[in-house]
Amino acid sequence: MWAMVVKEFLQLRRDRRTLAMMIVLPLMLLIIFGYAASFDVSRIPTVVVGPSAKAYAQRLEKPFALAGAYPAQGLAAARRDLRDGKADVAFVTGGGATRVLVNGADLFTARAAETAVARMAAAQVDLPRLQAQLRRLLPPGHGDLFHTPRPTKVDVLYNPGLKTALVMVPGLAGVILVFIGTLIASLGVVRERQAGTFEQLAVMPLSPWDVLIGKIAPYFLVAAVDLGLVLGVGMWLFDVPMHGSWALLILGALLFLFVTLSIGVLISSVSQNQGQAIQLAMLTVLPQILLSGLIFPLSSMAVGVRWIAYVLPLTYFVEISRGVMLQGQTVADLWRPFVYLAALGAVAVTFATLRFYRLLNPAAGRDRHRTSAAGKVRA
Amino acid sequence: MMTEPLAEGLHVTRRFGAAVAVRDVSVTVRPGEVLGLLGANGAGKTTLLRMLLGLLPPSEGAVRLFGRGPSLALRRHIGYMPQGMGLYEDLTPEENLRFARAVFGVDLSLRRNEFPDVPVGALPLGLQRRVAFRQVLQHRPRLLVLDEPTSGVDPLMRARLWQEVRAAADQGAGVLITTHHMEEAEQCDRLVVMADGRVVAEGGLEEILAGEEVVLVEIADWAQAMTLLETAGYEPALVGRSLRLAASAEPEVRRVLSGQEFQIRRAPATLEERFVALAARRS
Repeated sequence: MWAMVVKEFLQLRRDRRTLAMMIVLPLMLLIIFGYAASFDVSRIPTVVVGPSAKAYAQRLEKPFALAGAYPAQGLAAARRDLRDGKADVAFVTGGGATRVLVNGADLFTARAAETAVARMAAAQVDLPRLQAQLRRLLPPGHGDLFHTPRPTKVDVLYNPGLKTALVMVPGLAGVILVFIGTLIASLGVVRERQAGTFEQLAVMPLSPWDVLIGKIAPYFLVAAVDLGLVLGVGMWLFDVPMHGSWALLILGALLFLFVTLSIGVLISSVSQNQGQAIQLAMLTVLPQILLSGLIFPLSSMAVGVRWIAYVLPLTYFVEISRGVMLQGQTVADLWRPFVYLAALGAVAVTFATLRFYRLLNPAAGRDRHRTSAAGKVRA
Repeated sequence: MMTEPLAEGLHVTRRFGAAVAVRDVSVTVRPGEVLGLLGANGAGKTTLLRMLLGLLPPSEGAVRLFGRGPSLALRRHIGYMPQGMGLYEDLTPEENLRFARAVFGVDLSLRRNEFPDVPVGALPLGLQRRVAFRQVLQHRPRLLVLDEPTSGVDPLMRARLWQEVRAAADQGAGVLITTHHMEEAEQCDRLVVMADGRVVAEGGLEEILAGEEVVLVEIADWAQAMTLLETAGYEPALVGRSLRLAASAEPEVRRVLSGQEFQIRRAPATLEERFVALAARRS
């Protein structure tokens, strides 16, 4: 038995990637669950509109974080701010009762907002009596400081019933694309390498770009079909609405798919065997599922962890799919996630192409200085 | 008239960490010739071959393909059959061939239907090698590089493959072939013998043999004679009832077997004996 244990340790020591993963993964999970995996929403971007916006804004307490107070604007502007993602909650003052609009596309934020609004209403229940008492004590006019009507009506937009399925299905489509794109594509080159066919490709007149696109194309097609299936079945079974443009959603999905496939192929090109490829793919898939805002709200994550979320493609696809399907956002509202996705795609494709170039043309990089060596040899 | 070399390795060395797989080797393949790269396992044949193809950068020295450094454009003129054959086992022979035709820009309508329509992985090894061979020949490469192409193939199939190798060379292709089958080496126009990462002999078969002779010992009790010679540090080969040893061993053989009745005579060395002698000298 001892011999077996020693042999296993020797093999583990040689397999540095597995060893690194065994150490890195627990740390990663600890950090993610410690700092990011929180359903507690401590900060809700909020706008206040209407005649009493300024006074109301001064009295806002946590978790509401003021994103703007606009006395000259009304309900329409508040709705627009919520749709554009400028805020998740809007207080519309004026006309007696304050109306509250909540973005239901962000489930936990919406629930936290509802709770906080209810708390506010309860705290202010005796306000009129308190005001009357203060008016008696203070000079005339000063009692108006407390003239902040309590919120009475909460409207949850985009997901009125706060159904989990409605916010999960658009994001889930992204998770499926991540799995297909990263996990399955990551096995592509490795399989060729292990079968010995990659060497054959390396002596064929194929450019790195030919091989890269050739590898990606079939997965791209299958994943596109999967995407259609998931969204179609999701909409049919869970009544997920489609408020925005199909074309915009498809464009976002294809861009996202291109990014994940490029990452998958890049992983494949740096892995020596299928085990290594799966390990590396898991290291990119897991943080995307946990940190993209799909499960845990981005706003509740620690700042450092949130920055990790900002370099993960799924974060932007979740924003796009929820934005288009639930909120009816347009390209004017979503250009940022599109640009970030395109930038991530450009980085992944560049690295994958460079890596393929090295794999398919290993001697080319060194040939320049070899030429002079050859000259010397011949001389 | 000297023809322009198709592939050249110029004083190439390849190290893997502290180990040196190929050490200061120069080799040239010319059009129309079959150059045999001969060596035991681990002699550095495949490493040299991969350097010549541009699959592995040399640690020192230089490689030239068609007069230039290895490049993507030049691959169109190369046909390479690795030891593992490089076929997709889950595709049928025709699907493999069609893929290669598409990549090399060969007429896709060419189809011979000479192989069974089953995945390559389900075919016997000999047939798999024929598919691989057809794949590397179908774009009529100027340089054909074959890494132990007849390994595990029966004599009939081997003969057919060699016919095709010769036909390709007759049409002007340069062929670089690695093997450790001596009977195959005899079919090459020129040989490069490698041992321990170095070239230990080079030239035609006669040049390699260089009049090398062995001694043939004929003795009734050959088993006892063999034991005596092995004890003395020799490695005699038993052929029929005769023992064959390097000619240089003759005085010692006479001494070791003195007192016994035996006959000793000289004979030309075979390529295998010459190869073993060269390899032994190197080590």
